[in-house]
Amino acid sequence: MLDVGRHPNIELLAYSEVEKVDGQAGDFRVTVRRKARYVEEDKCTGCGACKEKCPTIVPDAFNEWLGERKAIYSWFAQGIPSTHTIDPAHCRQLNGKKCGVCKKGCKADAINFDQKERIVELNVAAIIVATGYDVFAPSRIPEYQYGKIANVVTAIEFERLLSASGPTGGHLDRPSDRAIEAEIEELEKKANRSQKVIAKFEEQHGEASGEFYARYEKGEYSGDEERGKWAEKYQEHLAIVEPLKALKKKAGGFTAAKRLAFIQCVGSRDFRFYPFCSGYCCMHSIKEAIIAHEHGSETTSAIFGMDIRAVGKGFEEYKVRGGNNSNIRYVRGRVAEITEGPNNNPVVIYEDTRERKVKDEEFDLVILATACAPNSGVKQLADLLDIEIDNFGFYKTSATQPLDTTRPGIFVCGCAHGPMDIPESVAQASSAAARAVQTVTASEQMRKAS
Amino acid sequence: MSRDILVIGGGIAGIQSSLDLAEMGFKVHLIERLPSIGGKMAQLDKTFPTNDCAI
Repeated sequence: MLDVGRHPNIELLAYSEVEKVDGQAGDFRVTVRRKARYVEEDKCTGCGACKEKCPTIVPDAFNEWLGERKAIYSWFAQGIPSTHTIDPAHCRQLNGKKCGVCKKGCKADAINFDQKERIVELNVAAIIVATGYDVFAPSRIPEYQYGKIANVVTAIEFERLLSASGPTGGHLDRPSDRAIEAEIEELEKKANRSQKVIAKFEEQHGEASGEFYARYEKGEYSGDEERGKWAEKYQEHLAIVEPLKALKKKAGGFTAAKRLAFIQCVGSRDFRFYPFCSGYCCMHSIKEAIIAHEHGSETTSAIFGMDIRAVGKGFEEYKVRGGNNSNIRYVRGRVAEITEGPNNNPVVIYEDTRERKVKDEEFDLVILATACAPNSGVKQLADLLDIEIDNFGFYKTSATQPLDTTRPGIFVCGCAHGPMDIPESVAQASSAAARAVQTVTASEQMRKAS
Repeated sequence: MSRDILVIGGGIAGIQSSLDLAEMGFKVHLIERLPSIGGKMAQLDKTFPTNDCAI
């Protein structure tokens, strides 16, 4: 990534979108809209002083909404370009409120609330489309209860929980436990505030609230308005402190997730959604199980699938190694349903096809290996580029020219072409680069000849 | 007439295409919708089968 940022032959237009494409192979005219970041790209040093000052907290899309960022943010810590961006939907200043603390905190004077989006015209000989994929929305499968059971997560969400730079710092804290911890934090703030209120009464009357309240309950101060108020405030305080105590006791027993279940083919090889195999998910689950085991040696994983498709160089060996060294159990069977058991533990109901028995098993965390779905913007871009898409929503190609779209001079690679893993994406990307060069040289030869 | 090439999408595929073309001496314009390049791959902690760091 860093190489892209500093290569003299690459002009990086981040935070930009294609608006219009005219012309033909060898001579395309492309209109690009550069969205306003409200931060000057040539001034921002990426130091991050602005986001430390920013008062607005927003859920972080890079962390799959499991973490938080500020209204001024960098997409992720090592992002290229490192230029920060102001989120116009959440920035106080841009929504007419008084703020601007980021501008005051910026030593490079890079913040510009008046920045406007810009239109850039490019003249190119060839175009490579590498727009990737979207994660299949597992809430479309109601029996898996994603979004309803907190401890059912997608593979990419699990990836963020595993990451040292993720929202949990790499600890496998379960979403249900994190929600309770957030609730404790919130209640503690409230308890501190109500403690201050009753402390004033205690100081005034020279008595602890508990002792006063016991006498008040007996009716000692009936008709005393001032003490009535004290009693009321003390009741409010207890209504916060008591559930807080119970939650803290519960949180004392929280441990990292140790019993993991991976459900394969969530949305793939399913005639209700995508009949194709997404290809990478078997290996992805095995990798996540191996990494989770590296985090804690007592971690066990069960991978539920119709079969494990380890097709690739070194993949089968990786699968066997996971089974032998990383406490991974491969269960042949499709999961019928996920329900919630005690302690927010998801319970997986499945048929073990080897034993021909329907079973259920409780886990700490369930990870859904979601399908590689076509990018949601595919139709819009296909219309702009005037190229066709296939039945599923990937760009249409032919078996004999697998990287050529239906318009000469426009090529496709990576998951925009169809589901594939990283090594295959990289190989296709190099091939697409070669095809693009052929377009350039062919059109030059045509011009020389004419 | 231009010899430049446009790459749409700054994930691993777009990055690889851009670097290959740039190394061959072609001028590349790389467009990314989000504030930084990296795509889905940047969200991955490690990659199989070598368990190398994704970034």
